Amino acid sequence: MSSGNVALRHSAFLYKAEHEYVTRSVAFIRDGLDAREGCIVAHSRDWIAVMRDALGPDAERVAFVDVGATYTRPARAVAAYYGTFLDQLRKAPSVRALAEFQFSPALGDWDEWMGYEAITNLAYAHLPVWVVCTYNTRGLPDRVVDGVLSTHAEVLTGDRWRESDHFGDPREVVRRITPEPEPLPELRAFSPGGDLERFREQLARELVAEKVPEARALDMLVAGTEVAANAMRHGAGIEALRVGRAHGRFVCEVIDRGSGFDDPVAGYLAPREGAGTGLWVARQLTWRLECFHSPAGFTVRMWL
Amino acid sequence: MATERGDEAACRRLVDAFLPAIANVARRFDGGGGVHRTELLQEGVAGLLFAAQRYDPRTGTPFWGYASFWVRKAMQELVAEVTRPVALSDHAVRGLARVKAARRHHLQAHGAEPTGAELAAATGLTRAQLESLLAIDRAPRSFEEPLGSDEATTATFGETVADPGAEREYEQVLDKMEMKAVRDLADGLDERERTVLWRHYGLGQAPQTLSRIGSDLGLTAERIRQIEKEALEKLREATARPPTATGDVA
Repeated sequence: MSSGNVALRHSAFLYKAEHEYVTRSVAFIRDGLDAREGCIVAHSRDWIAVMRDALGPDAERVAFVDVGATYTRPARAVAAYYGTFLDQLRKAPSVRALAEFQFSPALGDWDEWMGYEAITNLAYAHLPVWVVCTYNTRGLPDRVVDGVLSTHAEVLTGDRWRESDHFGDPREVVRRITPEPEPLPELRAFSPGGDLERFREQLARELVAEKVPEARALDMLVAGTEVAANAMRHGAGIEALRVGRAHGRFVCEVIDRGSGFDDPVAGYLAPREGAGTGLWVARQLTWRLECFHSPAGFTVRMWL
Repeated sequence: MATERGDEAACRRLVDAFLPAIANVARRFDGGGGVHRTELLQEGVAGLLFAAQRYDPRTGTPFWGYASFWVRKAMQELVAEVTRPVALSDHAVRGLARVKAARRHHLQAHGAEPTGAELAAATGLTRAQLESLLAIDRAPRSFEEPLGSDEATTATFGETVADPGAEREYEQVLDKMEMKAVRDLADGLDERERTVLWRHYGLGQAPQTLSRIGSDLGLTAERIRQIEKEALEKLREATARPPTATGDVA
């Protein structure tokens, strides 16, 4: 039976026993295959092998994704899944996907990944995709389970899908978990130079001075160009620029004279009508992007 | 259903039907720690029969979709058991046997893993004794042990072991993965575009003016500027296009 989705359905499946994961997942994927939907299973390589065995010959019709390679940063994960969904939608009218969550060594990073789950509700909202995020709850802190319930509109409990009582507005969830930007007094000012070419030349000198590897320097030149262009086009011009190293990372700030914006998910939605390209590009190429109002002006801070 | 009731003929028919699939799973463990193939198959059959007792066709999951998990698990436990290097006292062996029997019984009766408290109650062991036995039973693993039984797996167990400085190092691993993606991005530029960008912005060399670059390439500074603009636009468009998820192991 087809999911009948014309837009995103974002669900969570919380399980305790591994055999429960296999049982439910195989049934979910087989339903999708029967309905000629594109089917995706995202998990560790070990568990991909388990699912291949369980699906038998039908595994050839499923796209498997190694989450170890995909969950690097939220912005990259959003982009990678978005691309994969589009790829599947070229071959099928709708898609269903199972994605097992992978945590980094620092559970403190959970806030960032909860933000990713919230952003999922917006990033793929217009796509006929049913995404089921699977979580093994054995040993999972309550805080994480609460986060799952606040970022997924429905949860599989027993045999039933039920609406989550704790589902929150995605933008508000992201706003709540986004930390306040640090002051970073160690950054130094540099001159914007009047146009984008001079800006890149100045920025390149700073990148070389900080011994940033060439490939990453190119990332920052492209990302910085997008942010600087936005400042010139939409922000009434560049007020100031700052660069330097903080927490071991190269940082570049572009401060403009405009009124800025207040969108906690800016740059996370793939370019399309209503979602511009500049901040998406900058998020893809940098480790972190912060957008905030400061005494100096509206600031976009890029961490490499 | 006949298999669930323990009907011998039905069990035999079931095993015959699924033996090729069990053998397929066993191939992933072949050569693992000196376990013989026939032993793997025997454990796989035990896993299959265990699954048959618990399988609920109302879930809509095909039987093998459910049973393959238990077949694989039985084989994994055998390999772990056989390859454990630590010699146990008779007392510990008997204790472990009690724990494993209690676990199997609980699984069959309740369909779920027992908690520590339930295992302790069933075996008459204290929590501390239980935890010691379970710790012994966890087979020590070599850092070089491959993760997973997928032939394509290159990751090793050692790579999963955390150390106190892991967070920053983990980020560096992520950075390296993404640097590779960026190198792939720059690969989309032609030789001339790469030359212009690298020389103008001093990447890996002293920076040069557009005039100097143009002079070397036999082009005007304005043409160099256009080439650079086209190159940056290529990089922008390539980044704007969402990639597909990496590591597809299909």
